[in-house]
Amino acid sequence: MVEITTLPRYVSPVNPAVFPHLTVVLLGIGIFFTAWFFVYEVTSTKHSRSLRKELAVSLVASIFSGFGILFLLLSVGIFV
Amino acid sequence: MTITKMLNILLFLSLSALVSSSPLKIDQKLVNKNVERSIDLTSHLVKLSTTLTLENTGTSPVSNYLISLEPGTIGNLSFISVKDALKEDLKVKPTKVSGHEDEVFYDVQLKQPLGASRTVLLNLEYVLTRALVPYPTEITQKDKQLVRYFGNHYFYTPYTTIKQTTTVTLASRNIESYTKLKPVSQSDSSISYGPYTNIAPFTIDVLNVHYENNSPFLTVTRLHRLIEISHWGNIAVEENIEIVHSGAKLKGPFSRYDFQRDTSSNHHSIKAYKTILPAAAYNIYYRDSNGNISTSTVRPRKDWIELELRPRFPLFGGWRSSYTIGYNVPSYQFLYRKGANTYVLAMRLLDHVYDDMHVEELETNIVLPVGVKNVKLNTPYKVEHLENGETHKYLDNLGRIVLKLRKSNLVEHHIQDLELTYDWDTITLLHEPLLLAVALFILFIIVIIYVRLDFSINKSEKKE
Repeated sequence: MVEITTLPRYVSPVNPAVFPHLTVVLLGIGIFFTAWFFVYEVTSTKHSRSLRKELAVSLVASIFSGFGILFLLLSVGIFV
Repeated sequence: MTITKMLNILLFLSLSALVSSSPLKIDQKLVNKNVERSIDLTSHLVKLSTTLTLENTGTSPVSNYLISLEPGTIGNLSFISVKDALKEDLKVKPTKVSGHEDEVFYDVQLKQPLGASRTVLLNLEYVLTRALVPYPTEITQKDKQLVRYFGNHYFYTPYTTIKQTTTVTLASRNIESYTKLKPVSQSDSSISYGPYTNIAPFTIDVLNVHYENNSPFLTVTRLHRLIEISHWGNIAVEENIEIVHSGAKLKGPFSRYDFQRDTSSNHHSIKAYKTILPAAAYNIYYRDSNGNISTSTVRPRKDWIELELRPRFPLFGGWRSSYTIGYNVPSYQFLYRKGANTYVLAMRLLDHVYDDMHVEELETNIVLPVGVKNVKLNTPYKVEHLENGETHKYLDNLGRIVLKLRKSNLVEHHIQDLELTYDWDTITLLHEPLLLAVALFILFIIVIIYVRLDFSINKSEKKE
């Protein structure tokens, strides 16, 4: 049996001190793309709409918002 | 008639021989040359520590020593340990002895076999719970709490004792009565018995002390401890505690006026007590079913955090209370990395609740992260391992393994680390954010599909 105290300690891959900053940046970008997506959806017509652009914008928005929400949860103390 | 009786006895003997695989024999060549006992009765626990010098008067070496407990105390025994002269723990395990089937013995394995006419020093320590009986069993608010202790003047042992002394330390100098087996002397709050010489094995002579003890008779009837590991760098701990004042019951009315006027610190009721938390604990909360309890104070010390808890009401004999206490600690305090994907959690199975605590029943649940495999548990003492459960926490579609451990009758000496080893992939950390991203993306897809649906009754006038 290896002596426990000689083992390296486990630290989170992301320093908990930067959770709030990450939340602001990621969620900011996420909300920006989400807004862009909805603005695009309501302003474009049936003819001017491009599926590729919609998918691209929504993909970026969902990834940034996803990570943003996660760090929001972590920074308020909900450790998932 | 006699033949059937004999047959019965034979049958019983053979059965008992079958049950206890290999009963040990008492080696009468071993004698207790000198025994110094000290019985600490200052708290609501009975702490017995005995320093004994063993001598092997035989010719062949002896490698084990037997400890016996007085009949009727086995249910009270919470903790037992034997140390040698170098303060190193010796192996102790319960065993059966032939000829004394109805009694409980503990077998101590000596580090080195004790040669002929050699001596060895042993330090025996054990803690008894529920051994102090309040007498009278019901007192009024103004009365002092008196308790009785029943023990043995002699060291209860399967060997002959050459010389023995006993010191009883009491909580106060107010002693109602104590048995006077000469030579005996009392000074302040301690009673010294002995020296007694040449005591035969298994000698019992009841020692009885009736004295004032106003130390908090607080018992934790149930402690439910929940440890939740998150690899985002946090370990959350929550304890659900049910306590009861196990001293003399309160007789008659409770007067808040008298209670407030009585400023002496030496009172049998419990106003407040201190809990010690790990030094890195943060986000501490203290509440019960009604909500937050505001009468608590956190004092950071150098190596720990002291939390002074004041229950919603002072506790008198027989009164109960329950509360929840919780805190977070950073994962680097207790979580270690062993190999690429293997982790070790080294954390206390039971933590401090109050000084000289007594926990009747403990259940520790450990919630592991998502996707854990190969769980191996190493406990400092024997615990009951219940069937693993499964729980769902935030952003959890797969479920997490919950390890459930249970043990009853614990004291401070049981505050020891457990070791939990498990395999876990770092990539699993991305499970939660990707789950969120996929959910949001599905939402966007629904919007994309929705805007392409045409619900209008009349056709659009504009044509391409």
